[in-house]
Amino acid sequence: MSLKLQPTNVHLIEVRLKSEFNDAEGAAALALLREQGLSSLKEVRTGRLYEIAGSLSANQAHQAGKELLCDAVTQEFRLVSPAPAPMNGMNCWRVEVWLKPSVCDPVGATVIEAIAEGGLPKPAAARCATLYLLNGRALKAQIEKAMIKSLANPLIHHVVVTEAHS
Amino acid sequence: MSQLAETNPASFPILGKSTKELRVLSDSRHLSLSDAEWAAIQAHYKTLKREPSLAEIETIAQTWSEHCKHKTFTSPIRYTEGKKTRTIKNLFQETIVAATGALKKPWCLSLFKDNAGVVAFGKKWALAFKVETHNHPSALEPYGGAATGVGGVVRDILGVGLGAKPVLNTDTFCFGRPDWTGALPEGSHHPTRTLRGVVAGVRDYGNRMGIPTAGGGIWFDDDYRLNPLVFCGTVGLMPRWAVKKEVKPGDLIVTVGGRTGRDGLHGATFSSANLGADAPSSAVQIGHAIQEKRVLDALLAARDKKLYGSVTDCGAGGFSSAIGELGASCGARVRLEAAPLKASDLDSWEIWLSESQERMVLAVPPKNLKALETVFAAEGCELAVLGEFTKTGRLEVTHHGCVVVDLDMGFLHTGLPRAERAAVWNAPASVKPAGGASKKPSEALREMIGHLNVCSREWVIRQYDHEVQGGAIVKPLQGVRHDGPGDACVIWPHAATGDMEDFSCFAVGHGLNPDYGRIDPYWMALAAVDEALRNLTCVGADPARAALLDNFCWASPEDPKQLGALIRAAEGCRDAAKGFGAPFISGKDSLFNQSKDEKGKDLPIPGTLLVSAVAPVPDGRKAVTMDFKGPGNALYLIGRTNDELGGSLYHRVLGRTGGEVPKVSPAAAIDGFKALHAAMTRGHVLSAHDLSEGGLALCAAEMGFTGEFGCLLDLDECPRDPRIYSNETLLFSESPSRILVEVKPENESAFLRHFGKSAKSAMVRRVGQTTANPILKVTGLEGTTCLEESLKELKEAWQTALPKILG
Repeated sequence: MSLKLQPTNVHLIEVRLKSEFNDAEGAAALALLREQGLSSLKEVRTGRLYEIAGSLSANQAHQAGKELLCDAVTQEFRLVSPAPAPMNGMNCWRVEVWLKPSVCDPVGATVIEAIAEGGLPKPAAARCATLYLLNGRALKAQIEKAMIKSLANPLIHHVVVTEAHS
Repeated sequence: MSQLAETNPASFPILGKSTKELRVLSDSRHLSLSDAEWAAIQAHYKTLKREPSLAEIETIAQTWSEHCKHKTFTSPIRYTEGKKTRTIKNLFQETIVAATGALKKPWCLSLFKDNAGVVAFGKKWALAFKVETHNHPSALEPYGGAATGVGGVVRDILGVGLGAKPVLNTDTFCFGRPDWTGALPEGSHHPTRTLRGVVAGVRDYGNRMGIPTAGGGIWFDDDYRLNPLVFCGTVGLMPRWAVKKEVKPGDLIVTVGGRTGRDGLHGATFSSANLGADAPSSAVQIGHAIQEKRVLDALLAARDKKLYGSVTDCGAGGFSSAIGELGASCGARVRLEAAPLKASDLDSWEIWLSESQERMVLAVPPKNLKALETVFAAEGCELAVLGEFTKTGRLEVTHHGCVVVDLDMGFLHTGLPRAERAAVWNAPASVKPAGGASKKPSEALREMIGHLNVCSREWVIRQYDHEVQGGAIVKPLQGVRHDGPGDACVIWPHAATGDMEDFSCFAVGHGLNPDYGRIDPYWMALAAVDEALRNLTCVGADPARAALLDNFCWASPEDPKQLGALIRAAEGCRDAAKGFGAPFISGKDSLFNQSKDEKGKDLPIPGTLLVSAVAPVPDGRKAVTMDFKGPGNALYLIGRTNDELGGSLYHRVLGRTGGEVPKVSPAAAIDGFKALHAAMTRGHVLSAHDLSEGGLALCAAEMGFTGEFGCLLDLDECPRDPRIYSNETLLFSESPSRILVEVKPENESAFLRHFGKSAKSAMVRRVGQTTANPILKVTGLEGTTCLEESLKELKEAWQTALPKILG
């Protein structure tokens, strides 16, 4: 997922609840997706994605993730590399729900301000997405259909479904 | 030739185009302009001997939209009722405004002309109240649509007079049933998803801004499944000196708050058309509550320093509407390059028309600019000078030196052609109740108490912060376990004034029942006003000081039958206001709430009127809740029961049609409300609850299970039409203006004295008493028990209905 702004750097920071914590948002998402026919799903874990464009170096993006975007007690973060995800037999899926570029992203706007206030170079742009990690056998088309019926609205959202590491 | 014709590269040729060609233009740009409006625009530009610019056409379309100009309510209508036909010149003026004008209430400080209605609150303060709808956006994107609905109405309150501090949010919704299992057309959301999204949107915006959400309601009906209704309300507190605003030529045009982006284009024109699958994504936005909180804090600080002379919000139409309205009586010159933008590639017309959220426009004397900048900088809130107000009578907009709009204010605001519409109303023939299968009272009661239009809203209410600001005296959930259904909220707003010794409060109540409107919208309107006022009365508010708001949500007014029904409702409002002596102070209409269903047939919503009422509670310490307070207390029923089960919940659960719709007698009703209020102010009332859906049986059950005491009722003691011989009618009739009241035995005589002659004329009667055993037991007309139910079981049915569906 790219903002297509062609900035000098684009970093994708992923923030997730640590696995030992109960993910209430994930449980609610699981129930909604099951209602939409994905009955074989076993678990959904959620997270946030921040795509930050501008002159931040990788180290500075790491600092922003660690000190600003992540609660070190309950969450963990990583900088996501754009490497293609390996196939896993359709058992683990990664679903990213992004606001379309024409839609206002207040969280992204706040992230820009907060990074600058934290002493790092002010990003040129930042967008936020919701991440759903699905565990359970399903087809990509089924997931896409279920997502737009429950957790994403195609009018304002862009949904990216890929196979993921287990 | 004007400068525009010489310099503007983005002209929008319309001269010489046919009606058909203009319709295509209108559709492709979502302008919602009619043939007559195009003709007026063509004629105007013909006299100017030039083509309009795109920005001018967009400005005219936004300003002339139904959303902004309320064309249906202000244009002539040829109205046929039965065999009589008459012309209504201006429905709004002849009903709502006329009734309010006739009442001449000195405590009404600002009516209809500003962003909200304003009434006096004590000697130094005033309350501003506005309820907005955000229906079309919420149908497309429930979360974003509802959240920006809250943001919009909060900005209305910030933009009334010189600005008021929001102290209460209200929310009322109409949804399709969440257990809908039928098909839906492509692109529409299931009612459950709409409900979840709307509630989350209202929750997130209100909670993040630190405004309590403590009033409202939900109505479910399958005919809302494609067109949900989302009514967002806000009450604000302001000093009386801040009620008046004035723009002076030479004042700077200053925008504050959010930046301008491509989001939110065509919101006003989009709201003025039937909802279809081709809605633009730009009509939907995601709000930024924290940004609006900054605007709120900075604006009120600047108001108290008297740094600006006028303010309004950027709502539908963006700068074009806000600056156009502020400068309507003088003129305005705007330089768009000064506007802070979210993206640098916006076209001139996009900057001018964008409805990006969280923006306000101020008229600022130049000498105050520096101080204003300091105030807004302290809150981290952006500010920019866009131009100045003039005395040219023109709206002049440039972008980097190029003229993009040069419009005569007179044409913009008064050039709209008023097309006459036709309306028809045929009174329904009196039909005896028919159909459905009879049920035992106990069976019907259990079904009704778990009905979606009655059951507990705790699933929704608990998501809202109704405690923030520390002023919720009577909360939405009441009783010993804080989970019973309150009639209205009572708010003590003096955390904002700092006067800790002032115990004056205000209450907000609502009335809505579209099922009555299916029979006769006139009586629906009277019933809605009556319900809102009796809800206020039940908590201790003064019904003689109540002010009303109307929100009409209707299908297409181009259908003469729909328009006829709308006229009936408006005339009902007029008669209710006069009869109750309660003025309307503000309102809004949302029309074209209809869509193609899954079979391609038009699905209009039922004609819907929300009446919201606000009234002072003289002393919040004497406010009353609806839960029984103890055993052995007397129960009095105020108001007469008639055989009027048409449109009732009882008929709905039986599957029965026909019957008389409940009819209101405002004079008798207000007498009862005033007498009850007097009794409450003297501390003679322990609890009070209004009789609405489900009638006496549901009212008593709710009071019982909320207080965890039972009651014995004797139907033969009910004030009633002597021709009623049915226990079911007395148990479940929804005759308006009735309230069940709990009174201590030692206070009964004093209580009854407040009703004077009314008591003798059987307006108020002792109908039973409370008991320690939590059982609802009712003696029928024949002298034997006709209903005996465990309140614990009824409460369980009441509490579990919504969570069972929503999970």
